[in-house]
Amino acid sequence: MLGRYALTYGLRLAVLAAALGLWQGLSAAGVIRGDEFPSMSQTATALWDQASGSSLWNAVGETLEGWALGLVIGVAAALLLGTLIGMNGFAYRSVIGVIEFFKAIPVIAILPIGLVLWGATLTMKFALVAFAVFWPLVIQVCYGVRSLDPVARDTTTVLGVRGPRKFLTVTLPSAAPFIATGLRVAAAVALIVDIIAELIGGGSGLGERILVAENAGPSVYPIMYAYIVVAGILGVLLAGAFSVAERYVLHWHESQRSAKAQGQDRGYSERKGLTLVVS
Amino acid sequence: MSSHDLSNAAGPGLAARAANSAPARALTRVWLFVVLFVVWWFWSAGSKSLYFPPLSSILKALWNQWVTGPARAELASSLEHLLVGYVIAGLVGIGIGALLWSLRYLRDATSPYLYFLYVLPAPVLVPAAMTLFGIGFTMKVVLIAFAAVWPTLLNTLDGMRGVDQVKLDTSQVLGMSPLGSVFRVVLPAAAPQIVAGLRNSLQVAIILMVVSEWVASTDGIGYYIVTAQQGFDYVGMWSGIIVLAIIGTVANLLFVLAENRALHWHYGARAVEGTRP
Repeated sequence: MLGRYALTYGLRLAVLAAALGLWQGLSAAGVIRGDEFPSMSQTATALWDQASGSSLWNAVGETLEGWALGLVIGVAAALLLGTLIGMNGFAYRSVIGVIEFFKAIPVIAILPIGLVLWGATLTMKFALVAFAVFWPLVIQVCYGVRSLDPVARDTTTVLGVRGPRKFLTVTLPSAAPFIATGLRVAAAVALIVDIIAELIGGGSGLGERILVAENAGPSVYPIMYAYIVVAGILGVLLAGAFSVAERYVLHWHESQRSAKAQGQDRGYSERKGLTLVVS
Repeated sequence: MSSHDLSNAAGPGLAARAANSAPARALTRVWLFVVLFVVWWFWSAGSKSLYFPPLSSILKALWNQWVTGPARAELASSLEHLLVGYVIAGLVGIGIGALLWSLRYLRDATSPYLYFLYVLPAPVLVPAAMTLFGIGFTMKVVLIAFAAVWPTLLNTLDGMRGVDQVKLDTSQVLGMSPLGSVFRVVLPAAAPQIVAGLRNSLQVAIILMVVSEWVASTDGIGYYIVTAQQGFDYVGMWSGIIVLAIIGTVANLLFVLAENRALHWHYGARAVEGTRP
């Protein structure tokens, strides 16, 4: 077992080394033109320079600020409205079509409205993020609230549990896995929208720095690619954090328990993590 | 609102029955759209605000510009980028996903990097694509294809890994060739997840279509919107927004129709097992 892991990780490192080596080699051989695509060593140096100064961390901080504010607002609104809609059959059937419609609108369509209302500000960024996060999540919350197991529902009725107590002890736990999946997707969507708002809308953060570096010409391209790498790492970290949090909070739920039981098989847990990100 | 009061007044039993008849169900799904439209129409009718022009003038611009006017060219060019990029992404995604599924070591060795590219917020690649491919057709298609390939690729790989080993063994015992079993056993079994990936890819492709036109272009819907916005033509801007909303909705609708056709056997089987979602 240990041998297999060592082999896998060895192979992964080898692939990384080969890719970086190939990149450097192609640049050195002149196959990739330096004024179009910087070499690996230039990019790595730029990344190191940026990371040792404050500029990179400021950009990351600004991006995270828009991401977090928008996510909190969008999630809070979706939880509240989704629960209310989900609890009433007529409201659910009336509203679900409208929600599906808004969910299908590419967020970027809303960006110009945000721009004329707020300009290139933090408000514009988090408003867009909140809008983008709200629609997919509110659907998940509705499904979650409506997915209550009939036996559990009848039992609560028989036992006379109702009102807030029913909500907290029965409805919310049964909706939790749906909400968790929705949250993880929302976190990823929020980052993409936040970066679009910076790249196109000009709100400050990683996206804006990348565009500025591109406009500044070939000598600054290494910095542009350094920021692109940072954006990817940020994506991995945020997605990973939400997966871990979900496993921690929902450890009692079947979906997580069965994952744990089969945790020996790494393939399964990896697959599961991926599936849920995508679903 | 009147149908709400009615169903309440009729009592729960009757309301439930009424809600189950087809016209009532359709009515329930539609009335809120109508209400929202009417509210928007009258609320904006006398609007003097520059940012929120009357709905009537937006719809007029929609007709004059996008249906009969010059913006049709922008629409056509956007849809062309989208279609070409998306088809490439779908084919490459399924192809490479299947290839990686068959080559276990390569799959294990590359999986973290594929995940990195999947999670990377694709719009950050727009400036890089501009330096590499200029601002023409190639840049947009490459960008759309590159960004949209990952959901399909990873879902294909994932769906194929989930295929029941018994099915594979059975196909072997029955003397199917390896390639035959891929097409007749593995692909159908993985189809639902591949379709989920394709759906994700479509959303990514639409976003990248607009972003690429927005940042660097001389044509397309994104270009139209940004020009209108910077020229203070807010009616034009709103008409572009509505076009985007329609494209998103129609693309989604077409996808669901195609999915239901292609996967009806799957939903049928699931319904028999009583687990239809």
